[in-house]
Amino acid sequence: MNYAVLMIPNFALHALRRSEPALAGRAVALTAGEGRKAVLTEVSPEVLPVSPGCAVTLAMARCPGIVLRVREPGAEVEAQRILLAAAFTLSPRVEATAAGCCTVDLQGADASRTEAEMRLRVAELARLGLPVRAGAGPTPLLAAYAARGGEAVTIVRNPVEFLRPLPLAVAEPSATQSGILHGWGIKTLGDLTALSKADVGQRLGASGVALWERAAGETTRVLRMIEPPTTFVAQWAYDPPVETMEPLVFKLRRFAERIAFELRAAGFVAEALTLTLLLEDESDHRREFRLPEPGADVDSWLRVLQTHLDTVRTASPVAGVRLTAMPARPLAKQDGLFDTGLADPQAFWENLARLGAVVGDDRVGTPVMADTHRPDTFVLERPAEAVPAPEPPPLHPLRGPVLRRFRPSWPLRVTVEQTRPVEVSGPLAGVPAGVAGPWRVSGEWWRPGAWEVETWHVEMPDGGVYQLARTAAGWSVEGILD
Amino acid sequence: MPDPSTLSALRSLVAARFPTATRKHGGAVPTGVAGLDAALGGGLPAGRLTELVSAAASSGGQLVLARLLITTRAARQRIALVDGADGFAPEAVPADALRHLVWVRARNLAEALAAADVLVRDGNYAAVVIDLRGIAQRVLRRTPASEWHRLHRAAESRPAAVLVQTVFPLVPAVPWRLALRVPQGLERRRQPQGRLAAELVVETVRGHMRAEEMTG
Repeated sequence: MNYAVLMIPNFALHALRRSEPALAGRAVALTAGEGRKAVLTEVSPEVLPVSPGCAVTLAMARCPGIVLRVREPGAEVEAQRILLAAAFTLSPRVEATAAGCCTVDLQGADASRTEAEMRLRVAELARLGLPVRAGAGPTPLLAAYAARGGEAVTIVRNPVEFLRPLPLAVAEPSATQSGILHGWGIKTLGDLTALSKADVGQRLGASGVALWERAAGETTRVLRMIEPPTTFVAQWAYDPPVETMEPLVFKLRRFAERIAFELRAAGFVAEALTLTLLLEDESDHRREFRLPEPGADVDSWLRVLQTHLDTVRTASPVAGVRLTAMPARPLAKQDGLFDTGLADPQAFWENLARLGAVVGDDRVGTPVMADTHRPDTFVLERPAEAVPAPEPPPLHPLRGPVLRRFRPSWPLRVTVEQTRPVEVSGPLAGVPAGVAGPWRVSGEWWRPGAWEVETWHVEMPDGGVYQLARTAAGWSVEGILD
Repeated sequence: MPDPSTLSALRSLVAARFPTATRKHGGAVPTGVAGLDAALGGGLPAGRLTELVSAAASSGGQLVLARLLITTRAARQRIALVDGADGFAPEAVPADALRHLVWVRARNLAEALAAADVLVRDGNYAAVVIDLRGIAQRVLRRTPASEWHRLHRAAESRPAAVLVQTVFPLVPAVPWRLALRVPQGLERRRQPQGRLAAELVVETVRGHMRAEEMTG
């Protein structure tokens, strides 16, 4: 799986319900339009038997207790930031695709570990009042299809099998295309892709080809990456202004949940919080709290904030509230007198794990040469916590340009005269302007895996000096001396 | 051509109004290659990308990397190498010059850029080398400019000096682009690497930032 999509169905509705405690468990619907033209756009599961698109008057008749609301942009911003913070815990490469939807580039990540992380994030977001669905697949489109499925987490392991039973509407055909394809008896993506792409193109034109490609999951695109947040601020305006503490504390809890989630996702903790109450008379009440122990624990933050709010008396009602967290790296460590340790150990080890997810755990680390003369034999070890003092320089300094390897080495045909290469052909071709060598090494002759290498350096007409190797398997270019 | 005093006043005004936008970066990371350090005003600038173009075969790009490893080892700084084509040969540098290195062996450009993004943001490395030599030019040319812009932005607020090694000018809006154009030749294979590094010819292709602007 190369991409993941995190999606919150009925995003605007869930964002609104998360921001208003009074809406919990009630039949709520969002409306758009005015007067007789007003219709429902999103409805909560409690609103039965009403569905989106239904006229407001009809909905009120069918569901007497229904609460009708319009979208709340402030609540949606909060919910979107939580969603993006969850995405940044999976990969640093995240696209904010749409409201309530983001796409994550997982290329190179360890599949099983990422799947487990996705399940954790889905559960965490559900606890925060945002029922997210996650999908992962080889392309952003397939991941999006998977996220629209009924499961909390859907992984596309076999794209053909996954796509075949999906209804045609998933590929978003136009109304005209739907009508034509319905007439042909095509109901699923599998039905459509059973036809050849060329035939579909001949009958439906370029838009038909695009539809076929979407149905086959072939469409891909470049993600428009966003940066992770660098400031951790949340603000809300009350309309009408409030005079009691309850709505303040509720909103501060929501803010704290979001900010703490963002901080944890970015590997930060808060070392200070700033609370600002914006009053109706346009003055404000501001207070900074230095946390006794930097952290990202919502309950401990709220204890600090609530203790202060218990003592606050303001001259006029509160029209808005703002909470700001000052980020800090956790467990920042000072260098010792004799060692050069890590400035930020947590970020270092976390990022090594991320690198392991990108390229594989066996392809990142500190190289240590193996105890053998066999060329290119080393192991990658876990980096040292502290950089040790350097050893004295070697008595015999290294000479000549430095080898850069071609892995795997390039097979080559070499013409030899009196044991020396005089002409090469293959990926490297020509008559060498100069030749040096040979250097012969061998080892493990006492074992079945005995090896023997003869190394030459050749200078080609372009000025490049290449290292050739002759083994039992033949000649090859091992690298360039650079 | 604008009057230099006007430009200077404008710079001061912008710096006063937007202090974070014109943040000065502390220090530079010497590479141990005299020509390169002289061109850069002391070494690789921290918090910036520097591009080193190996325009000719065997022109010394890998020698620069080896000297950088030795120099940062002596200073006990940590260094990361994002090896886009998996070409680094550990046996070609002294074993002790590897002990501060985190080597990331990428398989392709996407992996290399993703790894670079993580490392540049880390904060524990004095230098991050992104070696893109050996990756097909047609692949490199397809890299969206936004990827580089993102890396520029990530580097700006971090302490690491970022060196991008390429074989043709690739990184858009890079503050420093230097080029190696002279092949070293087979006859220099017996010379000590220290002397080779001292004699390396480095051409400044682009270097519009003044040293004092970078080192603050």
